[in-house]
Amino acid sequence: MSTLLVVDDEANIRLLYAEELKDEGYDVVTAASSAEAAEKLQGGLFDLAVLDIKLKNESGIDLLQKLVKERHEMPVILCSAFSCYKDDFSAWLADGYVVKSGDLTELKQEIARVLAKKAQKIKAEL
Amino acid sequence: MVGVGDEELLVSKQQRRLEKCGECPVFANDLKQLHADGNPLAPLLSDLLSENHHQKSQIQSLVSFLDNKTLEMRFLHELGSVLQSSVDLEEVLSVALTAITAGKGFGMNRAFLLLCDREAGILKGYLGIGPRNLDEASQVWDEIVHDDNDLQTLSQNFRQNKLSSERAKFHDLLEQLTVPLDNKDHIIIKALDGRHPIMVQGAFQHPDVPPELARLLGVDSFLLMPLISRNRRIGMIIADNCITNRPITEEDMHSLETFGFPVAFAIERASLYDKLQVELNRVTEAGEKLKEQQELIVRMENMALVGRITSSIAHSVRNPLMIIGGFARSMLKNSPASDPKRTFIESIVAETHQLEGVLDEILNYSDSLYPTRDFWDVSQLIESMLRDSSDTLTALGYATGYSPGHDLPPVYIDFKQLSYCLRTLLQNDINGVGTDLSISISSQKEDDLVIIRIEDNSRHISQAELDHLLVPFSETRDLGAGLGLALCKTMLEKQGIPFVAQADEYNGIHYTIALPTSKEEQS
Repeated sequence: MSTLLVVDDEANIRLLYAEELKDEGYDVVTAASSAEAAEKLQGGLFDLAVLDIKLKNESGIDLLQKLVKERHEMPVILCSAFSCYKDDFSAWLADGYVVKSGDLTELKQEIARVLAKKAQKIKAEL
Repeated sequence: MVGVGDEELLVSKQQRRLEKCGECPVFANDLKQLHADGNPLAPLLSDLLSENHHQKSQIQSLVSFLDNKTLEMRFLHELGSVLQSSVDLEEVLSVALTAITAGKGFGMNRAFLLLCDREAGILKGYLGIGPRNLDEASQVWDEIVHDDNDLQTLSQNFRQNKLSSERAKFHDLLEQLTVPLDNKDHIIIKALDGRHPIMVQGAFQHPDVPPELARLLGVDSFLLMPLISRNRRIGMIIADNCITNRPITEEDMHSLETFGFPVAFAIERASLYDKLQVELNRVTEAGEKLKEQQELIVRMENMALVGRITSSIAHSVRNPLMIIGGFARSMLKNSPASDPKRTFIESIVAETHQLEGVLDEILNYSDSLYPTRDFWDVSQLIESMLRDSSDTLTALGYATGYSPGHDLPPVYIDFKQLSYCLRTLLQNDINGVGTDLSISISSQKEDDLVIIRIEDNSRHISQAELDHLLVPFSETRDLGAGLGLALCKTMLEKQGIPFVAQADEYNGIHYTIALPTSKEEQS
């Protein structure tokens, strides 16, 4: 079972993600800020992180850069209300990009795709 | 006998004797008698009488000379006034040439004006005035005598009624009256560089006169009068008496020389004024363009502000909408099919989905305010867009076809926006209601453009309905609500790309998009 870290400053969104992704069979840990995310990351191993780009007064892009630097083995999917970031080179570090929607099908498909890719990579390295 | 005008003689007996007695037959008889009588005073009186006649004759000649000079001064004064008051080149030239040829002026039969074109390095025939033959001359001169107009009226009449016809009349001759300014051996350039008039006589045999010039003018004698202003060569006047053959005198030449200075000055001033006017127009035009640019900047700033506000509102709305829609879906997923509230939840899911669609369009609109253009392969764009939409199109039973043009050049567009537009046009097509579910797309190079044509044969609506769809936030039963086509139109217009949508109730909808192939600003 894969463990996902969901970082979003909206409590209801965290709740929605947690419920929906648990239904898909994932273990889900949520964080409301970069600091909380860092704390959660120290406490366990995660297979993938889902990040919101706008985190109140913080930037999800900064957190993305930090994660890529410190946890490069953990893929990251950016999930944002801002479709324009999809074309922003700063978001290219992410393994996936999903525009927020009440229909989580795309997010779920993207998580499955990125995890499968990661698994393939690990398999190839072995 | 004291006649009219001689009243002053009544006052002075001495004056009366000097003026009248010499002509009196009684005095002549008395003098004759004195001579016959051998009176010694008789020869003396005869000498005095003879001297008096001589003096009177000289005085009359001087008065006549002064009268002529006074007329000349009056004419030059009138001419000067007209020339000084005008900055219109055509008017100045009309006055100058009228003055040369008018009987009240210098009375020459014909005159040509040549002007220096410094950029081309030539002296070029510009205007001619004068009759071609005796009949025409008689008619013109009769009119002048009959009308008895002053110089200003004559020149105004010439300008209004004859300038164009005189230009046409002498067009060929003026065309041939072109001399390079560096042809120092040519007599016209000699006169220009020498800054003094030259009177040419015996032109056909004159060593300095090119035979073609003599043939062109068709006269044996003519006057070359250079026009110089502030040491600058302005042009040349060639005048002759081709009809009357009256000899050109030294006096004619000097009078014309005097007249040449104000004419040259007036021509130069009028030319400079013309140039100034051109520059002024250019500056005014640049000012207007600057003003338009400033207005555009303000408009763009306003649009950017509108874009930022729209974007901010849209993003603020998206999160709650996502939460509502997401939880509604979650509830729907977990509710049994028999749950009576399932319909309500389905409605929430459908409405939030639609609202998310509207939000996407609004955000796309915000993006449309900032097109980023570059060169792209139009066929690649269309094929990629068709590939992305193929599943949906096939599922709905649509047949699509793309005919790419040969050797299409890259097009200068905002790739993202054009992709959105093409996708939107296809999406509208997908919602079609006709029986012929086919969409054909073609691209073709036409001049400096690449034309994309999309022919949707499925939808049959009127032009009025289609035009309504091109208005933002319009709504129709068939094509739904929102920005759709209107946004496409706006996006393309902002890139200066012409977009034509034509509807035919029998043949469907045809879209034409003309894409630029260069970076030149699109109108």
